[in-house]
Amino acid sequence: MASRTISKDIITLRGSAAIVSEFFGYAANSILYNRGIYPEESFSKVKKYGLTLLLTQDDGVKSFITGLTSQLSEWLEAGKLQRVVLVIMSKATSEVLERWNFNIETDAEVVEKGVIKEKSDKEIMREIQAIMRQIASCITYLPCLDEACVFDVLAYTDKDTTVPMAWVESDAKLINNPQMVKLHSFDTKIHKVDTIVSYKNDEWEDEE
Amino acid sequence: MQFLTPPSRKRRTEADADTSAGTSGAVASPVSDRRIVLYEQHEAVPFQVPRASFGPSDQLVCTYHCRQMVKSEFFVALDKAEKENAEYTARLAALNEQLYKIEEEREKYRDEASFLQQELAASKARENSLQERLLKEVDNSEERYRDQLRRISELEFEIKKEMDSRVAAEQFTETLKETVRELQTKLESLSDSSEREINSLKRELSYVQDESRFSSSKVTAELERTRLRAESAEEEAELLKEQLIGLKEQLDECLTQKGEIEHHPSSSNVSSSNAPSDDDKKMIKLLQEELHNYEKEVQEARKLKSSQLNSELLKEKLLEEQSRRERVELELSKLHEFQVKAQKLELELTSWKSLLNDIPDIVSYSDIPKKFAELQKEALENMAKLGEITAQLKEIKVAMEYADLSKQRAETECMLAKEKVESSSLEVKRLQLMLASVTEERDRLRKDSSASNKDAGPPDDSRVKELEAALNEKEQMMKEMDSSLQEHREIIAHQHAELKLFNDRLTDESKKVKSLERESDRLRHEVALLESKLGHGDYSSSNTKVLRMVNTLAVENEAKQTIEALQAELKRTTERLQAVEELKGQFDAALPEKLVQLKNQIAVLEKREERYKAVFAEKISVFRKACCSLFGYKIVMDDQKRPNGIPVTRFTLQSIYAQSDDEKLDFEYESGSMNIVMNDYTSQTDIAHQIEIFIRKMNSIPAFTANLTVECFNRRTLC
Repeated sequence: MASRTISKDIITLRGSAAIVSEFFGYAANSILYNRGIYPEESFSKVKKYGLTLLLTQDDGVKSFITGLTSQLSEWLEAGKLQRVVLVIMSKATSEVLERWNFNIETDAEVVEKGVIKEKSDKEIMREIQAIMRQIASCITYLPCLDEACVFDVLAYTDKDTTVPMAWVESDAKLINNPQMVKLHSFDTKIHKVDTIVSYKNDEWEDEE
Repeated sequence: MQFLTPPSRKRRTEADADTSAGTSGAVASPVSDRRIVLYEQHEAVPFQVPRASFGPSDQLVCTYHCRQMVKSEFFVALDKAEKENAEYTARLAALNEQLYKIEEEREKYRDEASFLQQELAASKARENSLQERLLKEVDNSEERYRDQLRRISELEFEIKKEMDSRVAAEQFTETLKETVRELQTKLESLSDSSEREINSLKRELSYVQDESRFSSSKVTAELERTRLRAESAEEEAELLKEQLIGLKEQLDECLTQKGEIEHHPSSSNVSSSNAPSDDDKKMIKLLQEELHNYEKEVQEARKLKSSQLNSELLKEKLLEEQSRRERVELELSKLHEFQVKAQKLELELTSWKSLLNDIPDIVSYSDIPKKFAELQKEALENMAKLGEITAQLKEIKVAMEYADLSKQRAETECMLAKEKVESSSLEVKRLQLMLASVTEERDRLRKDSSASNKDAGPPDDSRVKELEAALNEKEQMMKEMDSSLQEHREIIAHQHAELKLFNDRLTDESKKVKSLERESDRLRHEVALLESKLGHGDYSSSNTKVLRMVNTLAVENEAKQTIEALQAELKRTTERLQAVEELKGQFDAALPEKLVQLKNQIAVLEKREERYKAVFAEKISVFRKACCSLFGYKIVMDDQKRPNGIPVTRFTLQSIYAQSDDEKLDFEYESGSMNIVMNDYTSQTDIAHQIEIFIRKMNSIPAFTANLTVECFNRRTLC
């Protein structure tokens, strides 16, 4: 048996930002598919992170997500991004039903001094794979979305961040007395991403 | 190894000897005693009792017998003694063997003692090393405990400080949060109210725009109506002019006919025609005068119309200005409301400012988020410190566990040393017992040997002395070992006491560690609560802002456009409001006077109009009557509109010589052309024939009407 050596890959700030923004793009698509925000036939299968994931083919949604991920990547490289939240709201009442909260911790030393870190790509992919599996299994405990819903994306940035053209300041779109489930996290040694999903208490659960 | 000595026999012989020596009248034979009894004693003993019974001859025989007996007994005793001596020598040999064995055993015991001594020395050394180790460990543990106690006390003090500061900060943050929440709710309410007001203003704008459009459409419609009326009035005037011209021409023709008629029957009817010609002239003059008057009246009517138009325009202007004034008044009322709201907001701001003044280290509203951020930073720093404290607690736990382990090792080693010491003490005791037994045997042997070896000689005294010396030395060594053992025991007792003290300290520190663990659990719970709050989405507005991407998928763009349009309309309305306010400022002083003047003018013009109307109605009625009497037709004029919107004037003529009301002629005047309208009367053959001839062929309506009047007159007169 050959001896296994732990191979570590060099990770730069730009690479880590690309990994995190790409992850968010796939995670957003997975959430939209699993929560039924868009019809199933509008999604196509792709291979990523060692899994079969679903990506939307709707041009509008696709362009929205690509624009979003590009801006997130910029903010991550600048070390300005603190949190990304994907909000699912009722189309009729605009009531917030779910919040997929991705908390981001950035290594300030890397941003300031440009230090390079080392971590195995396989390890990072494995961590991301675990999160994707958890997102896919969320339908077992999240309440059913019986009404038509829309989604929106909020970005928590530093106070001194300039607001781009396609972005506006907004409220936090909070849920009153939510239930929270903490998912796995992944760490590129430069950016650490924690995932928490909070959802509105189902009336059935309240009655119980 | 124990050697058995027959003490019972000796004891028995001694006991027997003692009893035989002790008894005075014993009859026991000296032979059985196996003891050489002196003659004198022997004589004394037996002869004491039966002295009285024996005589002097008997005494001699007795003495021989006694001597014989004594000899025999002596020999027997000698034999016995020799046997005993042999036995004693054998015993001595045995004892010597035993002594050799004992010596060997002693040597063995010496070796063992030396071994034990070595072991004792080693155990001593180990104990010393253990003691040193224990002392070192105890010193180290003491130092560690002291340090830990110091750290714990310092940490407790810091924890208390931080907890106090944290409680205060939490209370302060809670109060600030509450105030911020209230401010946010108020801001939201204010923003909602402002949005509602904006929406209401927008609605009002739309209403105003609709009203303005409606009013403008009304005005345009009215303008068109007035234009049409003016046009129709002009057309009527033109018609009247044409009619006048026609009448004039008719008059001229009549006059010419009269003149011609007058020329022919002039001779016969000169006198009779002068009067009627004069009357006609007078009539004509009157008619001309009336025509002039009517022309004047028409001009006056035109002037009236123009004045009426002006008055109507003025009325419209008045209405507009009234509407503007109403709007301005409404907006003034709204301004009053806004002023009231602004006053309320100012009061609220003053209250918030007073709150700000109450809050320490805050000068302005913008300082609140900074203070909040500072407090949050302090809370985060406290959390970090708590994390460090927990890490230190863990280190302390690890050190405590290590100390426990070392303590357990020391205890086990102490136990082992104790066990060794006990075993060595047991062995020492055993040796002592052995020595005691050996000394006892030695003493007995000495006694026996001294009693028996007086004859055998002292061959083993030196050896015994040596043995005794060795034994003494051994005893001294054993004493020394006992003393050292006692010292070791004292040291071990002292160490036990110290261990107990350390155990007590350990229990105290374990209690402290447990309390610290509880605090750490509580802090972890608080950390979990804070994490849940973070997961909920709470954030600090001083460090963070929330951005949302404009959703190109939805109606946001349209909403933006509508919002921009509404904002532009708002700007325009505000500009209009400002202009209206400026106008109002200008007109405030001049409006009422102008209104009064205009009202007076309107009243005057209305009076004039009424007078003109009355005069015109009189004149028109006179004109109609004259036309009726002159031309023989009652004319009724009616303005109508066709479905296509073209105005048409309908004239209904009824001859004064008509025999029934159905005999009416209908004409329509349209764009300068007069056309007859067929009805039941005109569809009769006679009338239709006349229409065909005069109107269709000759294109002369007056000829038709004249012909018809003549026929009607003839019918009337003839009938």
